[in-house]
Amino acid sequence: MNTMSDKPDNAMPDDMNGGYDEDSIQQLEGLEAVRKRPGMYIGDTSDGTGLHHMVFEVLDNAIDEALAGWCDDIKVIIHPDNSISISDNGRGIPVGVKFDDKHEPKRSAAEIVMTVLHAGGKFNQNSYKVSGGLHGVGVSCVNGLSKWLKLIVRRDGKKYAMTFHQGKVVDRPIEIQNGVEVSPMQIVGDAEGRGTEVHFLADEEIFGVGKVEFHFDILAKRIRELSFLNNGVKIELIDHRDGKSENFAHSGGVKGFVEYMSRLKNPLHPKIFSAIGEKDGMTVEVAMQWNDSYTETVQCFTNNIPQRDGGTHLTGLRMAMTRVLNKYIEENEVAKKAKVETTGDDMREGLTCVLSVKVPEPKFSSQTKDKLVSSEVQPVVQEVVGQKLAEFLLENPNDAKLLCAKIVDAARAREAARKAREITRRKGVMDGLGLPGKLADCQEKDPALCEIYLVEGDSAGGSAKQGRDRKFQAILPLKGKILNVERARFDKVIGSQEIATLITALGTSIGKDDYNPDKLRYHRIIIMTDADVDGAHIRTLLLTFFYRQMPELVERGHIYIAQPPLYKVKHGRSERYIKDEHALKEHLMAEAMKDAELTPMDGAMPISGEALEILAREYFLAEAVSERLARLLPDDVLQALMRIPRLSLADSNAAMMAEASLGAALDAQKFEIAAEYISETDTHRLRITRHAHGNAYVNFLEDDLLESGDYNQLVKVGDLLRDLIGLGARAKRGEKEASVQSFREAMDWFLAEVKRGMSIQRYKGLGEMNPAQLWETTMDPKVRRLMKVQIEDAISSDQIFTTLMGDDVEPRRNFIETNALGVRNLDV
Amino acid sequence: MKPSNKPPVVTCPTCGAAVPWTVESKWKPFCSERCKMIDLGQWATEKYRVPAEEQEPDDESPQPQ
Repeated sequence: MNTMSDKPDNAMPDDMNGGYDEDSIQQLEGLEAVRKRPGMYIGDTSDGTGLHHMVFEVLDNAIDEALAGWCDDIKVIIHPDNSISISDNGRGIPVGVKFDDKHEPKRSAAEIVMTVLHAGGKFNQNSYKVSGGLHGVGVSCVNGLSKWLKLIVRRDGKKYAMTFHQGKVVDRPIEIQNGVEVSPMQIVGDAEGRGTEVHFLADEEIFGVGKVEFHFDILAKRIRELSFLNNGVKIELIDHRDGKSENFAHSGGVKGFVEYMSRLKNPLHPKIFSAIGEKDGMTVEVAMQWNDSYTETVQCFTNNIPQRDGGTHLTGLRMAMTRVLNKYIEENEVAKKAKVETTGDDMREGLTCVLSVKVPEPKFSSQTKDKLVSSEVQPVVQEVVGQKLAEFLLENPNDAKLLCAKIVDAARAREAARKAREITRRKGVMDGLGLPGKLADCQEKDPALCEIYLVEGDSAGGSAKQGRDRKFQAILPLKGKILNVERARFDKVIGSQEIATLITALGTSIGKDDYNPDKLRYHRIIIMTDADVDGAHIRTLLLTFFYRQMPELVERGHIYIAQPPLYKVKHGRSERYIKDEHALKEHLMAEAMKDAELTPMDGAMPISGEALEILAREYFLAEAVSERLARLLPDDVLQALMRIPRLSLADSNAAMMAEASLGAALDAQKFEIAAEYISETDTHRLRITRHAHGNAYVNFLEDDLLESGDYNQLVKVGDLLRDLIGLGARAKRGEKEASVQSFREAMDWFLAEVKRGMSIQRYKGLGEMNPAQLWETTMDPKVRRLMKVQIEDAISSDQIFTTLMGDDVEPRRNFIETNALGVRNLDV
Repeated sequence: MKPSNKPPVVTCPTCGAAVPWTVESKWKPFCSERCKMIDLGQWATEKYRVPAEEQEPDDESPQPQ
């Protein structure tokens, strides 16, 4: 061969045959072939799979003996030198000499089993009806790949032994029986009980020096499987290297297996479905339970061998499951309410299942037996599972109900995911550049510098487009869609088209695989809606959408709410935009106090300037308090609280004094006051009964109100103003003058006077502002005010939304009106 | 994490499960991807509605000034 180095590969070597003649054809005898190509027989010898298969091959023989009903106790021992012994209490391998053996001397049956490939009791169906074996090569391979192997058979009260070295018998005894040379198995003593024991040390020449090292967990996993699959067989795994041992006396069969597999999951229904059935010489065992996860765990076995890729048995199971469950769901009208159709896939979510079939002569798609192809198995499994599952559902309506709800949920989710995928793939959303046609984009490309205004309504959107600074401000008009739900009831939605447009404009995409908040194209998303209830609703919808589907945008502080002014006040030539009612009052008050004078009574010094302004400010604060408290108490009562000295409800004495004091300050014809003691909370309160139009309305004045800052303000203003106004009091502003009875009347007169020269315009919608006004009030970064949406705001928005989604129209309407989103101001 | 600084707990909008507002809650405010997708499906099919002002004719836009 060394002469070939300078020749092309296909050139003829000098001797014309390259040394390839009859001498190079090897006939590998028996186990030599196994030692030459161990991987073909036992699996990979370098990564440990083959090594552990050695144990499983021997173990399978013991299990076969158990399946045949002769053995119920198996021990697997890992010895300190990593040799393995496997013993069972079966019949014991036959030890007698086989006189039809062509070998000389004639060997014992046990020796033949240990040394001849494809020898054994599995090849006729009498000894073993069904049999496993991971690769079907038998124990002889294990023998061939062992440095040594000791076989002990206990049978008929005798103990027989035989030792092998690399598959060959050591110290073969030869006897003459009936004139023939035979080599029987040696009796080494008497035996109690019976069984087979195989003790071997895997050969380092095959598996690598220092590589013969067994993993307890790998052995334990398969042994556990076997003990579940072969109900009643006790298998003990003992590790003498560290004293660890585990007894896999798992009863409960496949049902116990499912229980074991589900031990770390939350079962959805309490009762495990399990069934055993036999037909045409096949046995089907199945157990199923659903848990609250979304993944399916199914293990299929044929004659104890796992099929990673399923096969005809699994197909039969699936068909039965789909048919029976669909029928049940249909008959019980579970899916009708949810308006979905359930499929087989929906039933697989969260399923834990063990399917084990015992088949006389199974066929697999490959040597590794990863897939069962025996077609006769499918109808048998389908029939057994179909019948038993239908019975189970009928007998366990509670489990059936929980299971069906889960399946319907899965169907809903699948349907929702499909719709969600569609949303961004819709036609007509994008223009040529992949952006929505409705979007007026900005010129700037750096997202950190870009803003997008989400503007409600097309007309306001038009104004915003004209008024904006196109360098960094983009405008996306969004239109709520009105739906007539029933007569005289209308609902508003953000159309799916609008949602799609929004997502495309933002650039983040949506859904489980596509959504990426880092791709946001604008670092300020500014929601700009009308300052009315409808506007608040659209804002709530948008905030809820962001909170639920793009919470990162809220967390990162990208979402803002524009604050368009509510009022425009024109006074002579000056124009002013005013954000809200409170600011309007402040403004009016400041204007009204200009040139104002209040003469509290005849002969008193008039109050004006700063002194009057302080009084007025306190008064307006008290007014604001009164407005806030108007929900709790009638206005007459609130006014009375300002007139009388501070009340207390600290004890029963104080409560009685409060009752008298408030009663005296009110019209006895209209109001009835009574002090009450609440024993549960050990507090006092005043019951206030108001009579009007023949009806009685009851309110309570509670102790905690009297402790509040609101009440303090009322008392403070009451003290300031109590004896201020007397006979002949006059209010004067400029040339005008009026006589007044109370401070309130004076203030009302001042306000009426100042309003006379003003025009106050209330903006109902953004559309009432022209582009220039919109820019200078709401969009110009120099003067505008923006509210940054915090996660808490989004959470409360979600709660508002949830209430709004409720079915009762009135409660939800009231709710939104009283819970308009709490606004936190932030000047940016 | 100190017990006093407990993260806020929100309610899964789809199934009502409690979801702590933490980095570990991958699908927040939902408890799971499943619940989030169901919600997205609701948006996609216009199931989420709020009451509108009655009889608001949609085409009546304010006069431009």
